[in-house]
Amino acid sequence: MAGIDNRIKFRDAREGDVEALAELVARLKRLNEEFDSMLKVRDDIKDVSRSYISSAVKDKNCIVLVAENDGKVVGLLKADIRERRFSQPMTEGRIIEFYIMPEYRKHGGGTEMLHHAIDRMKRIGVKIVSAEFPSQNKISVEFYAKQGFRPITNIHAKLI
Amino acid sequence: MPKKDDKTERLYRLAMRYSKFYGGKIAVMPNVPVRSLDDFSIWYTPGVAAVSRAIEKDHNLSFELTSRWNTIAIVSDGTRVLGLGNVGPEAAMPVMEGKAMIFKYLGGVNAVPLTVNVHDQQGIFNTVSSLEPAFGGFNLEDIESPKCFYLLDSLRKSVKVPVWHDDQQGTAGATLAGLLSSIRLTGRKASQTKIVFLGTGAANVATARILAVAGFDQGNIIMVDSKGILNPERDDMDELMLHNPWKYDLAIKTNSERMKGGLEDALKGADVLVAASGPGPDKFPKEYIKGMNKDAITFMLANPVPEIWPWEAKDMGARIVATGRSDFPNQVNNSIIFPALFRGALDCGASAITDEMIVAASSEIARYAYENGMSEEHIIPTMKEWEVYPNVAAAVARKAVGQRIAKRSMSAKKFHDNAKRIIEGSRMMLSALIKSRLIKMPPQ
Repeated sequence: MAGIDNRIKFRDAREGDVEALAELVARLKRLNEEFDSMLKVRDDIKDVSRSYISSAVKDKNCIVLVAENDGKVVGLLKADIRERRFSQPMTEGRIIEFYIMPEYRKHGGGTEMLHHAIDRMKRIGVKIVSAEFPSQNKISVEFYAKQGFRPITNIHAKLI
Repeated sequence: MPKKDDKTERLYRLAMRYSKFYGGKIAVMPNVPVRSLDDFSIWYTPGVAAVSRAIEKDHNLSFELTSRWNTIAIVSDGTRVLGLGNVGPEAAMPVMEGKAMIFKYLGGVNAVPLTVNVHDQQGIFNTVSSLEPAFGGFNLEDIESPKCFYLLDSLRKSVKVPVWHDDQQGTAGATLAGLLSSIRLTGRKASQTKIVFLGTGAANVATARILAVAGFDQGNIIMVDSKGILNPERDDMDELMLHNPWKYDLAIKTNSERMKGGLEDALKGADVLVAASGPGPDKFPKEYIKGMNKDAITFMLANPVPEIWPWEAKDMGARIVATGRSDFPNQVNNSIIFPALFRGALDCGASAITDEMIVAASSEIARYAYENGMSEEHIIPTMKEWEVYPNVAAAVARKAVGQRIAKRSMSAKKFHDNAKRIIEGSRMMLSALIKSRLIKMPPQ
């Protein structure tokens, strides 16, 4: 069902959100694991997620957005702001983590959150936005294609 | 494996002996007289060429000029046979033959067992699709979950004849019939009845889906599996989204209170428990039933032993108890649904079996029970009350006509009489063969 989900609101993450966000990061990593065994999560995924998101919230070169329903964190989008060395435009916003709780999916919440993030990035001078996700995640492939993204770099891996 | 009782052991022995004696349970029989070999030139070449040419021009005539109108395939890959599990297509054959026999005897439907050596979902999809020209319908049987969900949904969309998965829809239809009677007996309203499902296999998932069509509120449903109450915050949600979207969907649509916890929590204040979770007894502490509302309804559907013995459920306050067994009252049995449902769908030339047609079948069964001495010990008719079959066939056919998916329309009375004639004919044919000793009595 397309359309705007009235239940959720978006805002920048705060330190008080760290516990809830760490939970969402861990969920996202477990979802990624479903697509590829090379994305198998570590045993201490919760601890790693907590310290990772805790520093991201404080990092000026990160945008961490929160989707909230009735005071409860139900979605996360984290993007890194980078300078491209060889290509232009130079300032890139790379979406690294994007997760919405199951019952808020398919109601337009994801699209709206992406647009919020892009607006946020534009305001700080970002000119190109990119997204990282498992190659086998067809849902993400379709989602970004619908939003006008196209594949630009492939990362191939093998265990050695 | 549960300990087998003497009665079951005896039935095992007889089934082995008789199967050897008869060499299978079904046969293909001509449907036309052969007065002399000259008749072959009508039934076969050259006469038959005219029939072929007519069908070539209009494929729909294959439902009038050949036995396709009354012939279905029972398709199984043998991956989830009875309580036996993945026994493979050869070993699934005796079960499918038995199913074909029931189709013929109770519904007058010619059913051909086809156990296939194809196991991936796309492969089975292609196999069934390619068989469409020969059959008037498909009964998918004993195919493992979640493959069976994918197959039913995708085949329903692409094939132009009825497709049915008995383990899902047959059980859902029979359960719904029992539920409709039970809530009537206990003075409940469908929309306000709180239902807990224990087990999230094919049958319970299908029942939870069909309840929404039958006037129940899915928000009042709570599904419980080995990980506890199904809710959209569970850790396994993303895994379900990718591998079992049907269960994932129910996690979002059911449990509007977003309750978490286990079966004991779910049953507090519930009206109905539908358990299809694996053989009992003592599958869960029977005291949990005490937490349910007054006049609780419990369906303990595991075979061969129900999750909780019926008398124990009653001791804990259950007013109505149903099981999957014929030796206890209130057997929730697919055989009360599928022969009549196909009879109705074939008689009207339905292009599908819709959820609404299943609800029509269940409602008719509940109505029949109500008018024929419904009680706490008799919420659904048994297979012996065979008059219910033409009634159900007529209700299903009329629903298909109303939904504009039927090729033929008649009054409910005509559909009923037609179905009755076909089913009676099928029973009479068998008894004539037995009387003339062409079908022998089993060896002593």
